[in-house]
Amino acid sequence: MTSTAERIQLLAEACALSCVEKWIGKITARDLKTWLAAELGSATALDDFRPHGPIQSKAMAPKDILHILSGNTPHAAIQSLIRGLLLGSHNTFKIPSSGLPEFIECTEGIPAPLNQLIEIHDTLTEEHWSRANAIIAIGSDASINAIHQKALAHQIFIPHGHKLSIGIVYNDFKNAARLAARDISLYNQRGCLSLHAIYAAGDSRSFAGLLAQEMEHFCQQNPPEPINLSEAGAVRNLRETIRFCAANDPSTQLWESQDSLNWSVVHENSATLKLSCLNRCVYVKPLPPILNTQILGPEAQHLSTIATHPFSCTEAAALTNLTALRICPLGTSQQPSLFWHHDGFAPLASLVKWTDLG
Amino acid sequence: MHEPTFIERDVLAALKGQPLRENQFNSLALDVFRYQFNRNPAYQNFCKASEIQPDKISQWQDIPAVPTDTFKHSEYPLATFPVENTLKTFLTSGTTSELKGHHHFPSTRLYDQSIISVWRELDLPQLQNQHTIFLTPSPEQAPESSLSHMMGVLANSLTEKPTWAVNDSGQLEIDTITRAASFDLPVAFIGTALAFLHLFESIETPLSLPPGSWAMETGGYKGTKRHLKKQDLYQLFHEKLKLAPDSVINEYSMTELSSQFYSRGLNQAHSGPSWTRVRVIDPITNQESQAGQAGHLVIYDLANLHSAMAIRTQDIATRSEADLAQGNNSFTLLGRDPSALPRGCSRATDHNLQP
Repeated sequence: MTSTAERIQLLAEACALSCVEKWIGKITARDLKTWLAAELGSATALDDFRPHGPIQSKAMAPKDILHILSGNTPHAAIQSLIRGLLLGSHNTFKIPSSGLPEFIECTEGIPAPLNQLIEIHDTLTEEHWSRANAIIAIGSDASINAIHQKALAHQIFIPHGHKLSIGIVYNDFKNAARLAARDISLYNQRGCLSLHAIYAAGDSRSFAGLLAQEMEHFCQQNPPEPINLSEAGAVRNLRETIRFCAANDPSTQLWESQDSLNWSVVHENSATLKLSCLNRCVYVKPLPPILNTQILGPEAQHLSTIATHPFSCTEAAALTNLTALRICPLGTSQQPSLFWHHDGFAPLASLVKWTDLG
Repeated sequence: MHEPTFIERDVLAALKGQPLRENQFNSLALDVFRYQFNRNPAYQNFCKASEIQPDKISQWQDIPAVPTDTFKHSEYPLATFPVENTLKTFLTSGTTSELKGHHHFPSTRLYDQSIISVWRELDLPQLQNQHTIFLTPSPEQAPESSLSHMMGVLANSLTEKPTWAVNDSGQLEIDTITRAASFDLPVAFIGTALAFLHLFESIETPLSLPPGSWAMETGGYKGTKRHLKKQDLYQLFHEKLKLAPDSVINEYSMTELSSQFYSRGLNQAHSGPSWTRVRVIDPITNQESQAGQAGHLVIYDLANLHSAMAIRTQDIATRSEADLAQGNNSFTLLGRDPSALPRGCSRATDHNLQP
């Protein structure tokens, strides 16, 4: 179908839909063009042969991309959709049997010429698997491994496994608490960019208290959607377990929303990174003198983003000894740049192959 | 040697005696609460933080329940005795990277009596004059497993011809099982659902069991990727062992408890002995769920004298009008709360691969 320029215009219309914009932020046609040029060297790399050293090369998008989506990450699903459509590939989406209504809503507003490039199924046939030139898998490590085993040798495989993110606060607690509350609360921690723990230098308990105030403030402006029985059980279980620990260890403390399960802040001294039970529950911990994967423990290998405050590239670069592939200012963890390397992959460049002349 | 305290003698007598009436349970539960409050600093601190003390309550429902996760905090042991005097510690199952819960016992006197007395009080099938085949490791093979300990108590106390069918490598001895099943005596199979699944996958020809044979399954599929709906498992019992659903019993318990709950067949409630009580709590309101509405199961077990009698589980259950009519120790189990499983940013998507 359509040239890259036409797809960019249509996709920009789709990105302006409120149901899309609320997940990925504002993206214009100019952004899409610049992004494509940054990844492929030229915004027309998919249309024409372009000089590449002594030869000429043209980017070849995968004819068919199979996207296997997890149940609670519409954010990642929509990003994957935009990437596939910008490349002009046919996109087959496997959604979980429990559905992914936010994603479906977004696809319904996509302009017709692009909509023809979308197929959505809750089960996959052998044909879906075999015809895919590229497979993007979003899910648990076990699922990713199983999908990888099913992939054929010629298929490009892009895994997006379990991830979690953390914050680091050096000073300026008041502003940091406000920014952290946003990064924690947006999307109820369902995405891989959500913060599960904040490491605070100095008086971390004082920061936890300020964060609790800001969690309540954010909650008043942006109340969470109702949670189900299972999610509520997880929050209640966390609170009661922490209440037990706090009763026996003065360094542990719980702040919680009153008469609701809207948010919970836990201060504890252990530096070991733990998964939050989600739905606006976060751990605050003292920032150790040295922060490395050994101190963070087994979850360190699943780090996606580290959000710091105040942010400086110098201090951020010092954190690259951790396995996180993105270090950003606190308050922006949930809005990665269009240009980010998702889990270390260049999202467009990783999907294309090149044909050379000369 | 742990000498029983007065309260332990009272609880032991309750386990051995006639089923407790409500007022008897309430009275003994409050005594146990006072004992645990006074003897267990970690629990006492939790109760004080919850603003509940023994002299402030008069109903067992008000006794603070600890989440099962608190058993993972070995730095604050839930024990009414010095842990250095522990005779036996059972560990919860879990992967190597997960913290395991520790349930310490100064003696297993109450635990063992509970296992035997539940069997009697709930009128479970006789184990005499039968060949009992255990599809679990023996207590010697798995000394930290409360399930294996329970099987050992059943084997030693109630059975005449026990056979342990799991070898030291953890594999089912299929030949041993088929040979034992070929005798004239009725057969009782007792094991985990996972072990039964392995058994069913290992036998091509259905076993012909003598009349009066039955099975008890428990434990689900912990630590594995396997899962089978209960009705599908019971269909396999019918296909492979020719046992009707009514001849299959499910046992529900956990390492953090000392008593067991049983159901028979499909779509039936679990019942516990008279020294237990259950409540179903709506986690959103933290109040008792209405009849028929799901919530998290909270169990009160007097046999848990040496740790905490009130346990907040992460299992989801309902109490129907019929359950309520049966008393305060029956419930309909809906399953393990999926949120209790470890997870990261994404919901586990194993079902993505299902056709």
